[in-house]
Amino acid sequence: MKIPFFKFKEPKNKYLFIIMMLTILIMLVMLPDIFLSQVNIRSMASQFPEFGFLALAMMLAMITGGIDLSVVATANFTGVIAALILTKGPEAGMSPILAIVLAIASVIALAIPCGLINGILIAFVGVPPILATLGTQGLFLGLATVITKGLSIANFPNQFLFIGSGYLFGVPFVFILFLIGTIVVALILGRTQQGFSMYMIGSNPTVARYSGVNNSKIIIKTYVITAILAAVSSIIMISRANSMRPGYGSSYLLQAILVVVLGGADPDGGFGNIPGLLMAIVMLQVTQSGLNILAFSPFVRKFIWGFALLLVMTINFTAQQYGDYKRVKKMRQIATTTT
Amino acid sequence: MNIKRFFKRSESYVLLIIILFSAFITIINPAFLTLENLFDLLRSSSGTAILAIGVFLVLISGGVDVSCTTIAIVGQYVSVNLMIRAGIDSIWFIFGLSAFIGIVLGAINAVFVSLFKLPTLIVTLGTSSLYHGAMLEFFGTRAVNVGDLPQSVKSFGTFNVLTLPRADGTTYGLSIFFVILVALLIITYFVLKFTMVGRGIYAIGGNLEAAKRAGFNTRKTHFFIYTYAGFLAGIMGVIHLSLIRYSNPNYIVGTELGVIAAVVLGGARISGGTGTLTGTMLGVILITLLEKNLIMIGLSTYWQQFFIGVVLILGVSITYLQAKFQDGGRTIIVKDEE
Repeated sequence: MKIPFFKFKEPKNKYLFIIMMLTILIMLVMLPDIFLSQVNIRSMASQFPEFGFLALAMMLAMITGGIDLSVVATANFTGVIAALILTKGPEAGMSPILAIVLAIASVIALAIPCGLINGILIAFVGVPPILATLGTQGLFLGLATVITKGLSIANFPNQFLFIGSGYLFGVPFVFILFLIGTIVVALILGRTQQGFSMYMIGSNPTVARYSGVNNSKIIIKTYVITAILAAVSSIIMISRANSMRPGYGSSYLLQAILVVVLGGADPDGGFGNIPGLLMAIVMLQVTQSGLNILAFSPFVRKFIWGFALLLVMTINFTAQQYGDYKRVKKMRQIATTTT
Repeated sequence: MNIKRFFKRSESYVLLIIILFSAFITIINPAFLTLENLFDLLRSSSGTAILAIGVFLVLISGGVDVSCTTIAIVGQYVSVNLMIRAGIDSIWFIFGLSAFIGIVLGAINAVFVSLFKLPTLIVTLGTSSLYHGAMLEFFGTRAVNVGDLPQSVKSFGTFNVLTLPRADGTTYGLSIFFVILVALLIITYFVLKFTMVGRGIYAIGGNLEAAKRAGFNTRKTHFFIYTYAGFLAGIMGVIHLSLIRYSNPNYIVGTELGVIAAVVLGGARISGGTGTLTGTMLGVILITLLEKNLIMIGLSTYWQQFFIGVVLILGVSITYLQAKFQDGGRTIIVKDEE
């Protein structure tokens, strides 16, 4: 059996599509001139990839029935190291290109042990994902703070800033990066044994184990992929901001969870798909930009994200209850007609 | 208690670590092991301990509460502002108001957890963002300085139930905060041990469905847990205010990691059903030692979060490895049972 590569026919996605269109419509009505302007579209397309990668990472963890609270901390930790290489390298006479290559390589290389720690704690030690990643969140963020002493590191080589704010054929480079990242994750989920096993573990770990899935291996791999995605996000973050400070992007954690849940993933595992996630990200970004242009304070946004998360979860629950109720009713009908 | 049983409990390890760590600090800096420093530690950590009781209750019921710190700051900030505006200078008023706000916000948490059966982590993440955002937007962002603070709050913060003289004639003492903590601990202990609601908390943490079939009113229990946790958070908010004599709407928020770490270190399992108040308090002591005394051994405060992370990882690893060995590694633990 194959999981469809692009699960658009996922039942929840139908509603999600309608809600997304409604959000866009509302923004179009409220900001008719600004919203569809090239400037706004471009700024939206370059804003969301940094938390889009974190959301991809969070979704992978949620598909296996876990959660990764350490994504932002991993991004912070790897980002600090990259920032150090990018500032100290050229100072010591290293060519900027070499420093950039070295920084990116070390970010990815550092992400792997971060993911391994999470994976081993969850798979071998048996610590619940929430606790394991809560602990590593403290650890990674703590390391980042210790290294920088809480100060920010700024001013990277000009070539590096291209990643965050450059354009390729008029399209923001980060947007292209995000597309590539999404396709890779979609391929992993839909075309590899790893992806299939992840869905199986999320639905029922015991059944997965007895069907010959090596749960521990799959879980560890999942958290390594998660950490790598977080590391990619950190490269985008520091390149866009041209500086790095531990604690940067801490609000992304809630947003990532919100987007993933909004996109149809189940915190209990087994569900989650790329099209749903993409639609949720578009929705969040559209609302975010809209509120920004309308000059709402960051506090209102904080309030709205919390509200939206609870609303979506409640609607999901009610819809599921209603579906169950209808199914039971139908089965009763069949039972009465046959007897 | 015999030795074998002693080593089977995760609390014992925490106690051992505390003793070793204290001995280590004392060797480096003898000023640590004085009654004055002890009283000072008790005064500054009572608030965290009270929050930890609430988090502990939520944890043994099988949930996680990350909104406790937000509830504390909302209770504190809103009630101190209302108090100043209304011109009522009474410590009872601010405690009552803050606790009431805590209970209301806790009840909102309970609605989502109990009626809509949503995962507790997501609910409390959502509500903490909701409460904090709403307070900052609709209530204000200005900090309350010591000059504006009502006299009753200030004098409550310096009130000692036991006063001892120092060598140079000045005095130090045991703060009233500690008395409040002890009172709350005793109440919680009795509720957990001797009431139907309290036994229900353990029961629904062990197995929600089984608790339901055994006749526990799970909805009532959930409401009790979250309103009680909210109540404790409200109390903590006022204690924190009279401790630092300053109310900034962005304080306290963000320390929930440390509180949860403390409770989990004390041996409470996140999958619910197990854990003791003694363990929780030991966990709080350990975390406080790590937070407040790194300076005493000459490490800068930047190491705080790092050490809390390390201790949390080690602590939970020991707890869960023990659980794994006890059932011979038969269970397949990869999924978080919420």
